[in-house]
Amino acid sequence: MEKRALTKVHDWLWEIPKSYRPDMRVPARVYTDEKMLDSILGDRSLDQLINVATLPGIRGWAIAMPDVHEGYGFPIGGIAAVGSDDGVISPGGIGYDINCGVRLLRSTQTASSLRERLPKLVHSIAREIPSGVGRGGPLRFKKNDLDQILRDGATRAVEIGFGTDEDLDRIESRGAIDGADPKFVSDHARGRGGDQLGTIGSGNHFVEIDRVDRVFDPAFGIEHDQVLILIHTGSRGLGHQVATDFLRVMVGTMQRYGISVPDRELACAPFRSPEGQQYFQAMAAAANFAFANRQIITAGIRRAWKHELGDDLEVIYDVAHNVAKIEKHAVGEVLVHRKGATRAFPGQPVLIPGSMGTASYVLMGQQGSMEQSFGSSCHGAGRVMSRTRARQQVTATELRDRLQKLGIVAEAGSSKGLVEEAPEAYKDVDAVVDVVDRAGLAKKVARLVPIGVIKG
Amino acid sequence: MIEIIEHTADIRLRITAATREDLFREALRGTIALLQPQKGEREVQCDVRIEAGDPTVLLVDFLNEALSNAHARREAYDDAAIWSLTDNRVEARLLGTEAIAFGDDVKAVTYHEADIRRDAHGQWYTVLVYDI
Repeated sequence: MEKRALTKVHDWLWEIPKSYRPDMRVPARVYTDEKMLDSILGDRSLDQLINVATLPGIRGWAIAMPDVHEGYGFPIGGIAAVGSDDGVISPGGIGYDINCGVRLLRSTQTASSLRERLPKLVHSIAREIPSGVGRGGPLRFKKNDLDQILRDGATRAVEIGFGTDEDLDRIESRGAIDGADPKFVSDHARGRGGDQLGTIGSGNHFVEIDRVDRVFDPAFGIEHDQVLILIHTGSRGLGHQVATDFLRVMVGTMQRYGISVPDRELACAPFRSPEGQQYFQAMAAAANFAFANRQIITAGIRRAWKHELGDDLEVIYDVAHNVAKIEKHAVGEVLVHRKGATRAFPGQPVLIPGSMGTASYVLMGQQGSMEQSFGSSCHGAGRVMSRTRARQQVTATELRDRLQKLGIVAEAGSSKGLVEEAPEAYKDVDAVVDVVDRAGLAKKVARLVPIGVIKG
Repeated sequence: MIEIIEHTADIRLRITAATREDLFREALRGTIALLQPQKGEREVQCDVRIEAGDPTVLLVDFLNEALSNAHARREAYDDAAIWSLTDNRVEARLLGTEAIAFGDDVKAVTYHEADIRRDAHGQWYTVLVYDI
């Protein structure tokens, strides 16, 4: 796509008009500054966003955040709100890692108080939290017990001893999305990921110990130099299989509903159809599995923290960035698909994990998000470099040296996984966050820098 | 033949083979190789039967079935005995060894850009994009 196809709405927003392609039902909008726009135009993100703008029942705009990058079907960093009565639900608009999300914990420690004990603490957390590909956790649930997790999410995890009721008050949707029905989660999905509760997995998933580097606007009890813990993971193999199962169903049934899409990965079904409802109920169940996963991981981190330091951790917030939810907005009741986008309702903590070795952010949702982006913000830094190129450009030894010089203690399951997540593979998270702040979607509360990283 | 093509966030492969059966087998090898299995000695097999609306969807669904079984059963398939292959149905036995561990994760084989074609030399080919 060429830049001249876009109209500048204001310094932080660009639009591709509906007239750009005859099958677009709404315009496409991208929140970015001009410098990042040039980078975004370097891959197929905006072509994919235009495809999203063709979905039946879409309202307002197909929206991309500044961390957008090319995906498959939907771009990563995309938002689509469709009418709950006349719109479709698309598993590709949520992604394979259903309820991939972030949880932030607060400690009473400061970075200076932890310095000497940090390596032992990182090691202790790594021992408590299994990581790596397909890695199962120590917990085994019988079918009925797993069904309860799928139905009640973090609430069930708390009931069986992983955390407290106070934790639930600080989780999006109290850690359980309504409407989940375990019977639509296949045996395949249970077999693939049912034993992975309490594990972080691989790729860009991690547990990070952060120091509050800067406070922009005091909120959520966050103070300068305080130590916080960030958890980034999702529904593991169970969620991957739920998405795979239902994409297959929808590819096979779209024609029956008279739906055609420009990319099969946008396969969808009317939200009110049996297939649409079954997927929504299975997706909600997988999302609940992810909320429970982060709750159980939190319990593991608390055990390590208590053992090493003798004190406890509080949940600040837990928020999904790959999910679809029914919400009321100015255009009426809609199903908001967020794929690599974070809910950012006014006053709500918005957690933005950055790349290892740079920074992460805590933001606060603003009224502008309700008016402009269906209550949504960005979700991370956004990749700019393929994993293959990252491996060619960075060596594990050089990266470990660099992290060490920055005072970051890292425990990674594999050197390959470490270099693929090198900071240069990502956009400048400071610039990404500046855009959503200036556009009035979410304001900056605090900037966090890592001091300890546990990765798969 | 398996070639890696650049993708910002995920993995894109181009698979080429002399026959459609070989395309399925080569794509299976490419998919499982992405998992970087640490193979054990015990030989394994797994029968699959997939039906789909067209040959491209059939291939993607076949690969996702193999991927799902690889994860769930901890098995690394490096070949398949294909008993029957039509435009809409494949029946095959996946062959391989137990996997002690996987070095990398693949969430799914996507339909994005997948399109089975034949080139001017009669070779079968398709691009496959993987969510990793």
